[in-house]
Amino acid sequence: MDTYTLYAAQFLPFKEHFGPKGHNACKGCGVALAVRQVYKALEGSGANIEQAKWQIPWEESIIVNSGAIAAGSQPALLSIAKKEGALHICFDNECTGGRVDTAVMLKKLPAVASASGCDYSATACPSHPFDLVDKIRKAWDCAGSAFVHILCPCPVGWGFEAENTVKVGRKAVESRVFPLYEIAQGYYKITCEDPNPQPVEGYVKAQTRFAGWSAKKIIALKEEVNANLELLKSKTQKTL
Amino acid sequence: MISKTFKQEKVGCQLLEAGQAQPYTPGTKPQFGPVWDKTLCVRCALCYIYCPDAAISRQEDGFYDVDIKLCKGCGICHRECWFGAVSMQEVE
Ligand code: SF4
Ligand code: SF4
Repeated sequence: MDTYTLYAAQFLPFKEHFGPKGHNACKGCGVALAVRQVYKALEGSGANIEQAKWQIPWEESIIVNSGAIAAGSQPALLSIAKKEGALHICFDNECTGGRVDTAVMLKKLPAVASASGCDYSATACPSHPFDLVDKIRKAWDCAGSAFVHILCPCPVGWGFEAENTVKVGRKAVESRVFPLYEIAQGYYKITCEDPNPQPVEGYVKAQTRFAGWSAKKIIALKEEVNANLELLKSKTQKTL
Repeated sequence: MISKTFKQEKVGCQLLEAGQAQPYTPGTKPQFGPVWDKTLCVRCALCYIYCPDAAISRQEDGFYDVDIKLCKGCGICHRECWFGAVSMQEVE
């Protein structure tokens, strides 16, 4: 039987690492939001957050192997040393300098990380904070190296109002452009199941970075999203 | 006055110590800031968990309030409250 963990926002640690001075990210920054939630997840776990290493992952094999770098995206990577191995967290705001195509949006970093020997890898999004906290804690508690890929909506780069950061993240997850799943020792599990996915158009229309996209291109994206989801589902069934 | 110095960094530009970097406060107040309606709030803390700037904190009475020095006025708290308890109002 599955075990369930229950989270409520009031019971997460109240300590703020951004305080008392704040930070200089743009308003409504998805990366700042994700970092804050990750810090909350790791609070009290014994992780040395203050000494964690920030880097642009130009030399990290797990990223270089994937399509992300080839497509020109340079996500920030936070690496925290564990007892064995390390916990890598990729904060991906898909900053490709205005150019966006399906290869950037549908990369499968956790699969690559799992294939290169990570014990636990997962995708997460700050619009689903308890899912994110749960995954970061699992990644910290697993035996070997772990990798978590976090999609961080960027109001400036993607072109939407700052107040919609969380809404756009939720749309990305619910339209299955960015499905939430985890791979623990080769076992796939979709963590946010919804029998009726939202239409991809809703996600695309919410952002101005898709303004130049033709209807044909959006249909192609939709097909690719569906194919991705089917592949993911088939992998889940095979290993259960 | 801090004198400026030069230091060679490793390839990859990883800055491992703070050096002369200063803690940062946004400085100016946002044009619009969140205001709570305590009759509607159920203290679920969703506004708190979604604030990217860590500006919202729990008060002694269990309700939530903003530190306007940290708030950037993005409006996520207003958007994400299920009960419509947060409204954005002009900051004097
Ligand atoms: S999200 Fe709304 S109801 Fe929940 S604590 Fe904040 S103001 Fe109150
Ligand atoms: S407006 Fe934005 S920065 Fe200000 S308290 Fe609300 S969520 Fe935080």
